[in-house]
Amino acid sequence: MSNQNRLFKLFNDRKGNEKYFMPFFVAGDPSIDKFKEIVKNIEPYADIIEIGIPFSDPIADGPTIQEGNVRAFSSGINTKKALDAIKELRKFTEKPFIILTYYNILIQGAKTIEDSINITFKNLKESGIDGMVIGDLPIEEADLVLDACEKYDLALIFLVAPSTTEERLERILTKARGFIYLISVMGITGARETVAQVTKDNISRIKKKTNKNLPVFVGFGISKPEHAKTIIKAGADGIIIGSAIVDIIKNNLDNFSKMKEKLVEFHSKIKNSIK
Amino acid sequence: MDYIGKFPNKLGRFGDFGGIFAPEILMPALDELNKAYKKYINDTSFQEEFYNILKHYSGRPTPLYYTSRFSEYIGCRVYLKREDLNHGGAHKINNVMGQALLAKKMGKKKLIAETGAGQHGFATAIAGAYFGMETKVFMGEVDVKRQAYNVYRMQLLGAEVIPVKSGSRTLKDAINEGLRYWIAHVHDTHYLMGSVVGPHPYPMLVREFQRVIGKEIKQQIFELEDKLPNAIIACIGGGSNAIGAFYDFVNDEEVQLIGVEAAGEGKETDKHSIALGLGRRGVLHGAMQYLLQNEYGNILETHSISAGLDYPGVGPEHCYLNEINRLIVGDATDKETLDAFKKLSELEGIIPALESSHAIAYLIKNKDEFKKDDIVVINLSGSGSKDLSIVSEHIKFKIEPKDIL
Ligand SMILES: Cc1ncc(COP(=O)(O)O)c(C=O)c1O
Repeated sequence: MSNQNRLFKLFNDRKGNEKYFMPFFVAGDPSIDKFKEIVKNIEPYADIIEIGIPFSDPIADGPTIQEGNVRAFSSGINTKKALDAIKELRKFTEKPFIILTYYNILIQGAKTIEDSINITFKNLKESGIDGMVIGDLPIEEADLVLDACEKYDLALIFLVAPSTTEERLERILTKARGFIYLISVMGITGARETVAQVTKDNISRIKKKTNKNLPVFVGFGISKPEHAKTIIKAGADGIIIGSAIVDIIKNNLDNFSKMKEKLVEFHSKIKNSIK
Repeated sequence: MDYIGKFPNKLGRFGDFGGIFAPEILMPALDELNKAYKKYINDTSFQEEFYNILKHYSGRPTPLYYTSRFSEYIGCRVYLKREDLNHGGAHKINNVMGQALLAKKMGKKKLIAETGAGQHGFATAIAGAYFGMETKVFMGEVDVKRQAYNVYRMQLLGAEVIPVKSGSRTLKDAINEGLRYWIAHVHDTHYLMGSVVGPHPYPMLVREFQRVIGKEIKQQIFELEDKLPNAIIACIGGGSNAIGAFYDFVNDEEVQLIGVEAAGEGKETDKHSIALGLGRRGVLHGAMQYLLQNEYGNILETHSISAGLDYPGVGPEHCYLNEINRLIVGDATDKETLDAFKKLSELEGIIPALESSHAIAYLIKNKDEFKKDDIVVINLSGSGSKDLSIVSEHIKFKIEPKDIL
């Protein structure tokens, strides 16, 4: 990552022990225009914005985000339209954008996988994206993507799970850029009621092995300001919220101004809880 | 040709195909499975136990049966490898007993599986009952409806059937949901993959447990004909019965290996499952393979009259064998399949599974390619008794089940 990458800048300019909030949205949920408007509305409360590029078979996602994908597909989303929307959003903010997707989405467009990745990553960069999380790409399969990330100045953010062994963790840490995405519990995405002890234990496990150049963000299951607070207190540098936000969208589909209001209220509460 | 034993490599690759495209959270479990497999696959007591189960419980070896009337109809020497005579009525038992035995050795307490036709779910339920392991079977809601009889059978064996309502509500979605469940329960649960698909080590593991089919064919055909067959034909869904029948013949280049995919309502429609013949390279369910997908990499809905072939991808080893021109890829439509189903039933008194009927249909369509003395082996992967409700909607008689029941 160069010093021009927005993620690099964010962490390089970190003030004291500043904590970060990264909300997640599915591109095109509930429609392309509404998605853009929602992101603009919550932008002041987010430090990084994570955007899902929908895939038909998202194996690491729970029902909430799957439904978000379905709504997005019904609204006509595809990878090209998602990147166009992100490009437009880029005009309004300099906050880092991270995409979350699955490998098959990134290897389209040319005859060979190498050429496809090249084309796609060039597009990602030109759309104003700073990094990515790929739900089904473990370190063993990441070489082509790591090369392309280097070439286009993008960060490949690795997931670490409670089940990740020390040996795997060491390997991941040598390649990880941006931050570490720590999966809070053994499970798929989806809002949960409490913060598990294993989450806290894993935060300390990972924090011991990382330095300030590689912050640790925790995601999966966080749904309330109290959770965010607990996780930050346990030593995390940032929190990621997805399903709880997508739930707000789902529960207010019939009233867009109420949806926006609720989303802004939720984002501001979360941001305040980690200050 | 020197192929056997060379693939996959350490990273699970068959050439460019296969691999381990799995969420990080599953990687330790896949690694554990790979290590257990390596430990036991050459262990004589494991092999003996596996062999004994296949022999005494499933009834192996299955016959290699020379058809006289069907051979006369085709115009060459046609043998059927009678996998339909296995306990459970299909080749699926070979794989489930192998994997469940391995899971047991690994200390796993529970089994989960996906199923399309219900055949693999049924086989897994059998393994669950045999080994005393709690079993959950994920099955697309569409398939639950078209395979009601298998759903009932699974429940009789004590398995829980979980209808999957996401996506196209068929096999691929059942795999998605099974994997999601596994992610959260990986400590005590083995995911019992039903075909040579999924992340490494599954395609290798399932192949090794299904190889018994081809090993038996080789021995039996030498006893019966004292030479190699000219061709072996098998249907391909994920590809497990096909690789099982083909693998021990890959080095014998004079043996044609013919895999038959489901052409559904026709190649030119969008209602088929021809992944090898018409798909494009991509990654689904942990492996690089040929896939039916749109220009953005989203997976298309597929179609086949047989739920067991209704899958948008195909095992990575078949992709590789196809790429090195060791595999001949054919297809058969729903209609050709139904005709073949009826033909074999009438000529031989054997009702084939709709999946296997695709292989039969291929031979019927291409019978002129074979000479009188040519020997062709069809892998009859399963029995058609599970398919009667679907078939009865298409093949009509004077007295119909719906008139009686
Ligand atoms: C009888 C039978 N044959 C074939 C198949 C297809 O699977 P595979 O290609 O893995 O053999 C199935 C799948 O359910 C089946 O039940």
